[in-house]
Amino acid sequence: MSVNELKERHMEATDTLNSLRQQLHQKRLLLLDTDVADYAKSQGKTAVTFGPTDLVCCRTLQGHCGKVYSLDWTPEKNRIVSASQDGRLIVWNSLTSQKTHAIKLPCAWVMTCAFSPSGQSVACGGLDSVCSIFNLNTPTDKDGNVPVSKMLSGHKGYVSSCQYVPDEDTHLITSSGDQTCILWDVTTGLRTSVFGGEFQSGHTGDVLSVSINGSNSRMFISGSCDTTARLWDSRVASRAVRTFHGHEGDVNSVKFFPDGNRFGTGSDDGSSRLFDIRTGHQLQVYNQRHADNDIPPVTSIAFSISGRLLFAGYANGDCYVWDTLLAKMVLNLGSLHNSHEGRISCLGLSADGSALCTGSWDTNLKIWAFGGHRTVI
Amino acid sequence: MESDDSEQMRSVVPDTRGKHRILAELKRLEQEARFLQEELDQLEKLEKASAACNELLSIVETRPDPLLPLTKGPTNPTWDRWFEGSPDPSGCRCWIL
Repeated sequence: MSVNELKERHMEATDTLNSLRQQLHQKRLLLLDTDVADYAKSQGKTAVTFGPTDLVCCRTLQGHCGKVYSLDWTPEKNRIVSASQDGRLIVWNSLTSQKTHAIKLPCAWVMTCAFSPSGQSVACGGLDSVCSIFNLNTPTDKDGNVPVSKMLSGHKGYVSSCQYVPDEDTHLITSSGDQTCILWDVTTGLRTSVFGGEFQSGHTGDVLSVSINGSNSRMFISGSCDTTARLWDSRVASRAVRTFHGHEGDVNSVKFFPDGNRFGTGSDDGSSRLFDIRTGHQLQVYNQRHADNDIPPVTSIAFSISGRLLFAGYANGDCYVWDTLLAKMVLNLGSLHNSHEGRISCLGLSADGSALCTGSWDTNLKIWAFGGHRTVI
Repeated sequence: MESDDSEQMRSVVPDTRGKHRILAELKRLEQEARFLQEELDQLEKLEKASAACNELLSIVETRPDPLLPLTKGPTNPTWDRWFEGSPDPSGCRCWIL
């Protein structure tokens, strides 16, 4: 077959693909007979209401001297690792506000950090395209620095996000500007699987975020600059299980819903969305109207432990608390006393769900908890 | 002549490389089309969004949540550890750095 004939077949295949995508889109719309908010209202549900002093900032973790880019809690209750533009990881006891480790990184351009399930190691990655592992029990070297215990090399672009596989200190997943995700064996430092990339079906833009299913750790979600989120089975690297369309901008943040059958996304288009992994349905859009039409991007999201609340951090410093069932913004942490003074770049819930930690370009981390009167039903 | 041969080589080699690249891309597109057709076929038997919404409602309301003013029990006293004998909320300024 000549090049011209091949090019013609290529064009026909592209048209077929576009037509199929259009058909899929139309068929899915027909199946969206309701969204979560309309359904909840039809069942008589009413929105969560917070009093003015219910959710409060109870700790400010000061110590970084640059923007905070990423944070992660330990699976046990109180420790947090944070990564900053200042080229350091800090490990905090969030209850006492004390710093237990301050790790000067070999490459200052860090973008992400994660705690291992045992709490004994932290991982980080960034513009060096490498994921570095530090064992917190290793004695510091002569300069007082914690040495790197493993370097996971193989990405051909920046490492945007990393997460350890739950209950396994030996495996973690990274996402990258090279359009792939990688499952790593930390012990050997080798790639177990590469998801997407040049010879496989996958994201067609930088991958910005990854979230592993806490109920089924073989499944994970990735979010990308190609405006999609994809569901992967770690045993099948050749293609995503499902691709989720809907966003109109980069998907900056993805997070599994607590029950593992749904996930949330946050995007440059200013919206957060809730998707169902088994059906592929987009169940809800969380979109706040802005008076001046300047809609700030969503930088990061997290769900409360029941899933009733969705926390969404925005580039303008707002941190909305959404009632996920009624799709109503019930509180803006950014408007509270003692809130951050800059972009919210990252956020996460403690393992027991009793506290939210937010990280910001104002160099601080803050802990938020419920200090009001709790009614048990 | 030598220049004719090298010209011929230049016209043949890039064309071959282009052909292989296009063929690989074509195979990828055709595979993607098969995946999409599979998904389209699955949609015929798929339940509507209302079923998923119904499930979501029941799940969310059964789990105790420390951050909600109104929550299912049981509660845990450690949820309130953030307000017990808390240190100066302005934070630790220890000289670890």
